[in-house]
Amino acid sequence: MDKAIIVENLKKTYSNGTEAVKGINFSVDYGEIFGFLGPNGAGKSTTIKVIIGLLRPTAGKVYLDGFNIEENPYEARMSKGYASQETSVDDRLTAYENIYLQGRFFHLDAKTIEKRAKDVLEMFGLWERRNDLVDSFSGGMRKRLDIAGALIHEPKILFLDEPTLGLDIQTRHAIWNYITDLQKNLKMTIFLTTHYLEEADALCDRVAIIDHGEIKAMDKPGVLKSSIGGDIITLTFSNDKGKTDSFLPIIKEIDNVKSVNPLKNGIYQIVVSKNGDEVIPVIFSLAQQKNINITSVRLKRPTLDDVYLKYTGTTIREAESSREEIAKQRIMMRRMRR
Amino acid sequence: MKTLFVDSYYVALRELKKYFRQKTRMIMTLVQPFIWLVLMGNMMSGLTNNPFAAQMLGTGNYLSFMTPGIILMTILFSSIFSGTSIVWDRRIGYLDKLLAAPIKRGAIPFGKTIAAMVQGGIQSIIIIVVAILMGVRFATGLPGILVILIIAMLFSLILAGISLAIASKVKTIETLMAIINFFAMPLMFTSNALFPLKVMPKWLEAIAKVNPITYAVDPMRTLTVTGWSRTILPGIGITLIIDVIVLVWTEFVFKNAVSE
Repeated sequence: MDKAIIVENLKKTYSNGTEAVKGINFSVDYGEIFGFLGPNGAGKSTTIKVIIGLLRPTAGKVYLDGFNIEENPYEARMSKGYASQETSVDDRLTAYENIYLQGRFFHLDAKTIEKRAKDVLEMFGLWERRNDLVDSFSGGMRKRLDIAGALIHEPKILFLDEPTLGLDIQTRHAIWNYITDLQKNLKMTIFLTTHYLEEADALCDRVAIIDHGEIKAMDKPGVLKSSIGGDIITLTFSNDKGKTDSFLPIIKEIDNVKSVNPLKNGIYQIVVSKNGDEVIPVIFSLAQQKNINITSVRLKRPTLDDVYLKYTGTTIREAESSREEIAKQRIMMRRMRR
Repeated sequence: MKTLFVDSYYVALRELKKYFRQKTRMIMTLVQPFIWLVLMGNMMSGLTNNPFAAQMLGTGNYLSFMTPGIILMTILFSSIFSGTSIVWDRRIGYLDKLLAAPIKRGAIPFGKTIAAMVQGGIQSIIIIVVAILMGVRFATGLPGILVILIIAMLFSLILAGISLAIASKVKTIETLMAIINFFAMPLMFTSNALFPLKVMPKWLEAIAKVNPITYAVDPMRTLTVTGWSRTILPGIGITLIIDVIVLVWTEFVFKNAVSE
């Protein structure tokens, strides 16, 4: 099998009857960063928990690195690393102890752990702080330690559940760099869930949008964005109407331009199927030739947010969080904020 | 099977590393038995001046009578909180991390139980040292003290196991505490840890006879006060049987709680 993750007809119905995942299919290539997006309660967490072996699938098959998670659970578990959204590092242990125990839980011998621990701690810039209690670490350092620990057994696939939740912008960008480095330098396959769509856009080769237990859309972020209509260029002309009108057919002739719509007072909206940024200079040089005055220009490209909202709607989800979940979130936020 | 023990060892190691780091907790385990021995010993010394009472206790030294009781009481109140670590691990996501690792699931409660037993052993040693300093002479000497330690650790397994089993089912530490407090005190005072069965009213004696503390304290007391005797065997045997039952039950409850 030449896919890192294969999910076939995966269904998960909880014992209380909730159908969290209703038969989804997808696969992730080796070396790919795959983003899994969806509102609260969409089935995102359930899916990831089934794949990493925290929940049993009700129906369907999951393969990790070619190993069926139910028939070869040991190999499947060894093939993946997991960093949970709670950043589950132990505050009352040192960074090194956290990594050491994680290595032992993955049945590595002392020698291997010693070597790998140095590698991963250096990779995430924590080697100098290895003997400090995690209690003194900032949110970003904890997250880095958690991801470092997930790599101790050299997994082929890394699962990151909300890797930047609760982190400030600088730290978030730093984590992004670590993630792309993992892909580039180690050819790591990365499966991540996130609520931040700019994060999915910046990192992911492909994304899947899940809602109500079904996959609503799955493709490259760029393809998804262009699927909902292209870029929009808004131009303001300062010429009289006749002169402007004579220019409009010329604009329509430019490649990729789909339509030109007048808004008001010399403002026109031009819909471009793609590459709006390359169409603008063309319009400008043509306008100069024809002596047309453009006083302002604006380019709006569809974001992943638009795609997301199209598939999941704009209704705010009253996520049925249990008291437990809320308490968990609160503790996590408090731990990450410092 | 080997994997289960190796995995449990590292689960236990984590708990113990944290235990040894908690200075305040260590000091408290030292201070608490000291206060109990001094206070109760002093209070009850009048009692042992009465030859009839001394006969009831089986010794003229109430401290000797009470030392096994203090050991078990200290263990009771520490081991029974073992479960909090599972509730906390679930909160911070560490439990998921353990469950996603290729370790044997049974190693999680088992490792935490082992940690509780080691802590129980350490606390027992401290109490025994304090007792010796206060004049308690163990009738069976060092070998007897070793057997006392083993019984104490077997006893801590019972409490830790029950606590971990309850903790796998409850979601919050508050609930766990409420349940634990409901059991801890009555368990202590319906046993013969502090008073001999002979002086108890009939109804209390009946309860004390089904209390696991009674069975653990009995051989420990014999070893402390009387000396080597076959009468220690039933107590040790029953404690062992309860250990096995609690372990099997805890493993079952835990595995059941984490498999959806």
